[in-house]
Amino acid sequence: MIKFWQERVKNPISTKNLECDSKLKEIKKELKSVIGKKFAGSLAIRMVSSGSCNACEAECNALSNPYYNLERLCMHFVASPRHADIILLSGVVSANMYHHILNVYQQMPQPAYIVTLGDCPLLQGVFQENFAIKGAKSLGLPIAYHINGCPPNPQEIITGLLEFLKSLG
Amino acid sequence: MRAQRLIARFAIENSDNFEIVTVFDDEIQREMLDKDEPILKSISSKYTIATWFERKIKDDFGIKIEGAYDNRPLVHHERFPNIYPMRKEFVEKDIEFREFKPYKYETVGGEGVFEVAVGPIHAGIIEPGHFHFSQEGERMLHLEVRHFYTYRGIEKTLEGKNLLEAKEIIERISGNESIAYQLAWFDIVKQASDLKYDEKLKKYHCLLLELERIIHHLTDMGFMPNDAGFGAALSFASKLSEDTRVLLQELSGHRFGFGSVGFEVKKYDKQKILNFLNTLEKKVRWFEDWIIDIPSLWDRFDFTGILSKQKAKSYCVLGVIARSSGEKIDARNNEFYKKHGFVLQNELVGDVASRFKLRIKEIYNSIGLIRNFIDGFTKIEKPIKFDDAEYMSYVESSIGELFMFIKLKNGKIDRFYTRDASFINWQALYLMMEKDIIADFPLINKSCDLSYAGNDL
Ligand code: SF4
Repeated sequence: MIKFWQERVKNPISTKNLECDSKLKEIKKELKSVIGKKFAGSLAIRMVSSGSCNACEAECNALSNPYYNLERLCMHFVASPRHADIILLSGVVSANMYHHILNVYQQMPQPAYIVTLGDCPLLQGVFQENFAIKGAKSLGLPIAYHINGCPPNPQEIITGLLEFLKSLG
Repeated sequence: MRAQRLIARFAIENSDNFEIVTVFDDEIQREMLDKDEPILKSISSKYTIATWFERKIKDDFGIKIEGAYDNRPLVHHERFPNIYPMRKEFVEKDIEFREFKPYKYETVGGEGVFEVAVGPIHAGIIEPGHFHFSQEGERMLHLEVRHFYTYRGIEKTLEGKNLLEAKEIIERISGNESIAYQLAWFDIVKQASDLKYDEKLKKYHCLLLELERIIHHLTDMGFMPNDAGFGAALSFASKLSEDTRVLLQELSGHRFGFGSVGFEVKKYDKQKILNFLNTLEKKVRWFEDWIIDIPSLWDRFDFTGILSKQKAKSYCVLGVIARSSGEKIDARNNEFYKKHGFVLQNELVGDVASRFKLRIKEIYNSIGLIRNFIDGFTKIEKPIKFDDAEYMSYVESSIGELFMFIKLKNGKIDRFYTRDASFINWQALYLMMEKDIIADFPLINKSCDLSYAGNDL
């Protein structure tokens, strides 16, 4: 363990990201006030894949790495829909996931919001409707916001979430 | 006699019969079945992993499997419509769900034995899949892995497209292995056309593949200790994997390399890559040195989730898992790679610790390979004409050997089939649980880090 502390003292911060850090700082200010008002200071996100290629999930995982560290923006991923304010829905909504996604939505406390992530859910990318792909619209649930990209990179996801929060007014 | 290694088993619909292709490491067997009443003799008593292949054939084509011990549907879930989507006559797009038909899980009975169902939606940020445990207290008696929640009907979707059109779907089958899928596709493009594979281009492609492997291994290098309660490793390694992903973006134009394997080398700064690799190597060495000193971590890693070499062989297991159990399987084990510094990495015990150590070793080897793959810029002619025939390709993805099959007819894809290493490895996962408690499951599963999307198609 001593090695760890030696390194820690020698190189205190190794995740400086000049371009991104200043942007995030600005975003943070805006976010704090919206999340403070609407969600009592913390936004709980449940990430659900409904048949994705896993790149969208990998980018959400990247949000927790030391460069982006989503939690400093008052947002965190939770393990159950019952703890969540919003669902981040990725993937094409496959026939085999369709009813599970409906189930997830029913488990959420209201008001619950669905934010679709990536080109897949709205079938805007390479995957089109077929016998195994239903698309998020077929769920008949309200979709509050959509974040574009294949996959959207971590910064785009953060800005997307900010835009979503602003859209709540 | 040496036992053959089963690589894949799949069906093709011809105009007057069904053809079953079984690919072994040293031969390809073909069997023709009657079209009106197709019945296939199971080989699952000899090869356990043939089970999923055969169950999939049954769901896709409605071919009856004779002598199988497992006749349950695989791809078709409780409400999946009653269809055989891979038959040529099937063209519908929008289909009603059928009534709920319960699936009978593989369980162990007995007094005090209970079941734990996990998934398809998990607590972490991962893909959907279901794990069904039979428990005796904390001990796992049995685990059934049930997948195909991300089934997107990709094989059918690709039919009727030409090779170039198919690319953007093929590279999105499994995001973490996108470059491997693209290389398999490129290999088939090469076989089907008169394309001249330039050495520089080849090196660039291989470089991207190794970079993808490094990112995958780095990610696991963080997530495995994290699942054993050592979060600091995740912070450290996820930083490195983000750095590498940024490099991949610079080199390929995309954070996951989508669209990067093509007919030209993107211009890049060689010195910058060399510098990056030097720093990365140093950091990984530091990490290794640091983590080897955390006894509580190795207490969780050592002798957890063991897959013996003998089992690995009989289940024809692939990739990282196979090499961790002492099997010498790697599709890169050829002259070209060896010339550039490839050394097949091996571990012996086959436990979580082996898989962790193997990943670190492979990172070093991949760093060395990339150094040797750095070369100049080039561009080749994009082929336009493709010859009708059947093509097969093998690529070592970051998970293991990826097999791809494409049959072209009139210049269009008549049958597309691909088998991710995960498809085989998932079937062997339960073997690793026998001596462990359920709390070890996430760790064991993560140490294998298999793909759901690549498995489900
Ligand atoms: S939007 Fe793109 S990256 Fe995201 S899951 Fe779909 S194919 Fe993958």
